[in-house]
Amino acid sequence: MQQPHRRRDRLTQRTEERTTMTAAWRQLPVLILLILAPCRTVSSKSVDPTTQPLVSIASQPTDTRSVVLQESVDQTTQTLVSIAPQPTDTRSFVLKGDTTFKNVELLNPVNLSLECVWTGSQNKQPSITGYWRKDGAEVQDSRVTVNLKEQQYNLTKVFSIASEENLGNYTCVFGNEFEMYFILGAPQMGEIRDKPIVSYVGDIVVLICKMDEKKPKPNTWTWYKFNGTDREEISAATDPHRYLTINDGWKTKLKVKNVSEADSGLYHCGAVYNISTSMTHVELKVITIMEPLKPFISILIEVIILVAAILIYERSRSKKKEAEANGPNAEPKNAQPQTEDNGGEKSSSVRQRKA
Amino acid sequence: MPPAAATNLGYKPPDGGWGWAVVFAAFISIGFSYAFPKSLTIYFKEIQEYFSVSYSEIAWVSSVMLASMYAGGPVSSMLVNRYGSRPVVMVGGLMVCTGMVLASFGTTIIHLYLCVGVIGGFGLAFNLQPALTIIGTYFQVKRPLANGLAMTGSPVVLSTLAPLNQFLFDSFGWRGSFLVLGSIVLNCCVAGALMRPVNKKAQSQPDNESPMSRGKASVEAASEDFSSPSANPLAEDIKNKSKCQSFVSRYIDLSLFTHRGFLIYLVGNVVMFFGFFAPIVFLAPYAKHQGTDEYSAALLLSIFALVDMFIRPVTGFIGNSKWIRPRIQYFFSFAVSYNGVCHLLCPLASGYGGLVVYAVFFGLAFGMLCALLFEVLMDLVGAHRFSSAVGLVTIIECGPVLLGPPISGALVDTFGDYKYMYYACGVFMLGPGIFLFIMHYYNYKKLDEEHRQRVTVEMRTSEEAVEFKMNPNEKTDNETQGETF
Repeated sequence: MQQPHRRRDRLTQRTEERTTMTAAWRQLPVLILLILAPCRTVSSKSVDPTTQPLVSIASQPTDTRSVVLQESVDQTTQTLVSIAPQPTDTRSFVLKGDTTFKNVELLNPVNLSLECVWTGSQNKQPSITGYWRKDGAEVQDSRVTVNLKEQQYNLTKVFSIASEENLGNYTCVFGNEFEMYFILGAPQMGEIRDKPIVSYVGDIVVLICKMDEKKPKPNTWTWYKFNGTDREEISAATDPHRYLTINDGWKTKLKVKNVSEADSGLYHCGAVYNISTSMTHVELKVITIMEPLKPFISILIEVIILVAAILIYERSRSKKKEAEANGPNAEPKNAQPQTEDNGGEKSSSVRQRKA
Repeated sequence: MPPAAATNLGYKPPDGGWGWAVVFAAFISIGFSYAFPKSLTIYFKEIQEYFSVSYSEIAWVSSVMLASMYAGGPVSSMLVNRYGSRPVVMVGGLMVCTGMVLASFGTTIIHLYLCVGVIGGFGLAFNLQPALTIIGTYFQVKRPLANGLAMTGSPVVLSTLAPLNQFLFDSFGWRGSFLVLGSIVLNCCVAGALMRPVNKKAQSQPDNESPMSRGKASVEAASEDFSSPSANPLAEDIKNKSKCQSFVSRYIDLSLFTHRGFLIYLVGNVVMFFGFFAPIVFLAPYAKHQGTDEYSAALLLSIFALVDMFIRPVTGFIGNSKWIRPRIQYFFSFAVSYNGVCHLLCPLASGYGGLVVYAVFFGLAFGMLCALLFEVLMDLVGAHRFSSAVGLVTIIECGPVLLGPPISGALVDTFGDYKYMYYACGVFMLGPGIFLFIMHYYNYKKLDEEHRQRVTVEMRTSEEAVEFKMNPNEKTDNETQGETF
């Protein structure tokens, strides 16, 4: 039986939301995947006789549903966005060729069929043992014998991703020779500022977390501050005088009023999706006005010293000149023709500067 | 009858000695004036979040600062004419420092507009004009070189301030950074202290005596005496005019508007400035639009700044050579046209390599233009009227400088493509370039004519002058007569 190949029609389409003065963004390629019914029912028909029947759920006829699949530019991350999420839907992801890992970002609970395709090493055994590992621990009942077919080894398993604990690193292992892995998780935030945000005692500070707008919009945002190992949620409800959260789709802002030095530390923001919350952190550092005042005063002193030195030097030189001038005759007159080579300097009369 | 002195400065500029210290001081002042507003943009993102305003509102801070800097030109010129360069620069440095320190404690965006924008901008204006003026008083023969060296301050200070500002921001946030920047800007006062007024000796020849007071270390306003068309500056003449007119003309020389060379320069520059800054502003976004990543796009700007930095003193040196100096106006027109050609050819650049080539050529063109920008004005109006001239020029240029980038941005937005903006900028520069070529050809011819006339007149009158030896006027191709029209 043949492994059907899925064809993907790639259409590029992007709605322009931002019109900035300085950047007319080129149309970024976005993949809209329309998986039609025949393709999807494949997973129930494609059971290879040499592999264990894995699919227990997809025997039901599944109807046509549109699925939007976005792929990152380097093709290592795919985000699955179902329009009508149903736990009985099964999606399929394939790793083959050069890519040895794939980030799969999920929003909702879903069944995933993960497939690894390996072309084998130099001496291709007719059959090889393959198994799956989740986060380092072997998945139960996942050991199967994989047969070499058309110069390829195929290892497929369907996993039910129902909640956060089902997310993680799923590695398919071919014998002891080769591994590929899928990282399943909620959409991750990039653009993490590694330097702390600096603010001053008594001042207001705004901490921002941003999710890439190409990725799906979070349902909501939450903010936490860690006290040791405890997670303490911050919201306008807990302390309305000090904290104000503004959630705006892909961006969230935490406004902290009247900061003090105790407020320094890591603030964790979480983008909440159906499946899980993806977290990142921002560091806040609170200092007093004394900190910048030190370089300010030191540079001020340096400037004053330099200015005083220059003026004093000039004063002393002019006094010396005066002393000289009062001695010999003042302003001896010399008539000299002034001719210059470059540019033909023009002068009509004689000048003499006191040296 | 006084001789038709080309500069009629009344003294021989030292062309060296302390002049080089003054060039260094001007380097710092000019550098801060041009680089400071540009370098503040690093803080805008955080300030925007802090005050919860839109990007365009925060960008206004830069615009207000630039506008104040250009609008403060005439005020600055008047003060320089009255008090000399040194006090004005020191006051300017203090003003910017005060503005930044006040801004660091600001609580609304309006505070920033006022403190950074208005006070800071005026302070920078008080730095720019005097720095340019004092070069003219210290240098005559080597003036293009001195100007080129002083104008190098702009890219050098910008390259220094950019990473420094980033470091300050990471260490202190925006408030602390403004505070420390206030103290850094105070170094302009040091530059001001270096700007010792040039030493002018009292003249032995009576008719060359100008009513300027001759102190050992004081410079009086020169333009009030030289504003009259004839080469006979008498303060009494001015007093005889109407009071209002004399008050104004004592401080700023409005008769420049009848000066042919000045008008040519003004018209050419006003049109040129529409396309002056926009290509730099849009270089990085254009590169990103072509598909390069952010880091490479920023590298383009660094290449541009590096080339700019090195070409300015070289241009000054070339402009000083004996072949170019007499016809330096043509050199300037060439620089302007070259800029225009560069922009027109830019859309042909394909890929990152093409953009690098464009950045290099643009850096060359821009550096040449900037190095000569004020030198040719000095060449046209003479050093003694330069202070008023530059004040008038900057306030009139205020409009195109502020309108240029938004118009270009509108072009980019309407057409969705950068090439039309580059075509427009190219035209805005090529047109004035050609205009300047033609007008200066005509101007040089007229000047030679007038010079020949004056020589014959003076030959006749010199027979009457017996107390002093006077050399026949040599052919002055390099200096336009300050009093001709």
